Amino acid sequence: MTSSMIPGLWMIIASMLLPVIPNYFRQPAMLLSVFLSSLSLLNGFGTFLTWEILGFNLTLYHSDNLTLPFAIIFHLASLLVIIYGWHNKNLMENMATLAYAGSAIGALHAGDFFSLFIWWEATALTSVFIVLAGNTVSARNSAMRYLIIQVCSGVLLLIGASMMVYQTGNHELTKLDLSSNFGVFIFLAFGIKAAFPFLNGWLQDSYPESSPTGTVALSAFTTKLAIYALARTFPGTETLIWIGAIMTAFPVFFAVIENDLRRVLSFSLNNQLGFMVVGIGIGTELSLNGTVAHAFVHIIYKALLFMSMGAVLHRVGTTKASELGGLYKYMPLTTIFCIIGAMSISAFPLFSGFVAKSLIMSALGGQGLILIYFVLFFASAGVLEHSGIKIPYFAFFAHERKTKVKEAPINMLIAMGVAAFLCIGIGVYPKYLYSILPYSVNYQPYTIDHVISQLQLLVFAILAFLFLVKFKLYPSEIKSTVLNSDWFYRKMLPGIGKPLFQTLQKIIIKFYEVLSILFDLILGRSKKFANLSYIKVTTPGFAGLLMITILFIMLVLAVI
Amino acid sequence: MKNNNLKTYAKYFTQFIIAVAGLLLIIDFTIYRHAYFHLEEIIGFPAIFGFICFVFIVIVGKHLRKILMRKEDYYDK
Repeated sequence: MTSSMIPGLWMIIASMLLPVIPNYFRQPAMLLSVFLSSLSLLNGFGTFLTWEILGFNLTLYHSDNLTLPFAIIFHLASLLVIIYGWHNKNLMENMATLAYAGSAIGALHAGDFFSLFIWWEATALTSVFIVLAGNTVSARNSAMRYLIIQVCSGVLLLIGASMMVYQTGNHELTKLDLSSNFGVFIFLAFGIKAAFPFLNGWLQDSYPESSPTGTVALSAFTTKLAIYALARTFPGTETLIWIGAIMTAFPVFFAVIENDLRRVLSFSLNNQLGFMVVGIGIGTELSLNGTVAHAFVHIIYKALLFMSMGAVLHRVGTTKASELGGLYKYMPLTTIFCIIGAMSISAFPLFSGFVAKSLIMSALGGQGLILIYFVLFFASAGVLEHSGIKIPYFAFFAHERKTKVKEAPINMLIAMGVAAFLCIGIGVYPKYLYSILPYSVNYQPYTIDHVISQLQLLVFAILAFLFLVKFKLYPSEIKSTVLNSDWFYRKMLPGIGKPLFQTLQKIIIKFYEVLSILFDLILGRSKKFANLSYIKVTTPGFAGLLMITILFIMLVLAVI
Repeated sequence: MKNNNLKTYAKYFTQFIIAVAGLLLIIDFTIYRHAYFHLEEIIGFPAIFGFICFVFIVIVGKHLRKILMRKEDYYDK
């Protein structure tokens, strides 16, 4: 029975049943559904379920060497999220989380663009409820922006897929390039979810608005699904190397000055995606392995970092660096777990980040891409700055704390403990991770050259930090908003659009006034026509007019 | 009394890092590191690179505040 059941579908079914399950059995039921879904991992490779509909052959369940590592880590992340949120009684959030994880797993197994599109939208629609569950006014506003952006990505994917079918008659999930116009649409659709530069605003906008558990769930799936999709359809696209390099470097500066530590982690997430995108861009077996390995370990340590900040939020009520500090005394275990996550993301030898990032760096070195190599080297120092030092330092140290707080709840500690264990386990025994990668690897990360080089970079960067703190050059935390690419649609577009539309509206009203005077002149005393209240400009009417105009222009363009 | 705690830890930590940094440089003098680019093979290059990058990021970030930083309720208005 399981063999032809789409992985992840169990979780979606379970999420729909959650309302009728008594409160105390909800989390166990969620765990059970993840377990049932994970049985699909034993199925091996191949196509297990297709569906012929309207002349299309949809591949609903396909599994191969690229799917497997992502499927494993998505299931693992689901487990961590559920354990971490064991105390969470918010039904909507629980349902959304489970359905979201299920959709993401389903998406991994889609074999064509249309099934991928369905899951792609499913992840968007389910995850928006996780943002909504943040339950504040700003979370609600953020969720609406998030929804618009995510649906945009879905629509672009659908446009691309439709054009592809129209032009080639094929809609299978195969390798594409940017020379075809549908390739560009699909590339952009993936690019939005992978948070390419200037398409990244939604990520830093919405993730920190969610609840402590919500952010952990969000951080694991959407972006890594996009990485998977890019790795499947655009390996070896050179543009990606440059995009990825920019992605690794620019969020670093934003992370330095951001005050909300969960937003710092969102910038850091963006920077980590850059490493994976570079790996896809190179497109060799080694680099693709690097991308997959990096996505795998990244989900664990990023979840761990978000979990530790979630625990802080849960206990203290804020993650603003300017209001935290000195928590090491009250939350010692959370502190230790956070530091393990921080060391993993900074790629210290014997931690999981090291064994994955080395693959990408070696692939770059092997290709002789010296500029990109040093950009990534630079970004590694950046990672250490914002995730390795800033997060633990401002949350747990910085200065002594006066008010007492309790250690994180036991379920949070268990989830963090498991994640921390995996971070170290993978770092010490990388061969298990390497054995599930898409291509067989014979790679040794622990050479003396690598270890010394990396340690020098990290230790001297820490030294630089100590030096800056000592001479009071390190910027203190200030309550603030840092502008990001969401500024364009949150401030700039309304700033231009509102006056523009208001003027337009005024002109149209003027036009109707003139029209009514003309009517008056022509029709004389006929009050029925002279009183033109029924063609008054209303806001919905105006919006409708605009929509029709845009559609008309598109139609004209399409005909041309 | 309590305030001294964190300061003492910081002192130990600093000493530890300086010791490790020194040790890494000494090792670098004794072995030959193979790297993909000659630049990286220069003795102590990753160390200097790491140090400079870190300072660069922090200083540039500090100045970026002038352009990118707004009040906390910036978007609410």
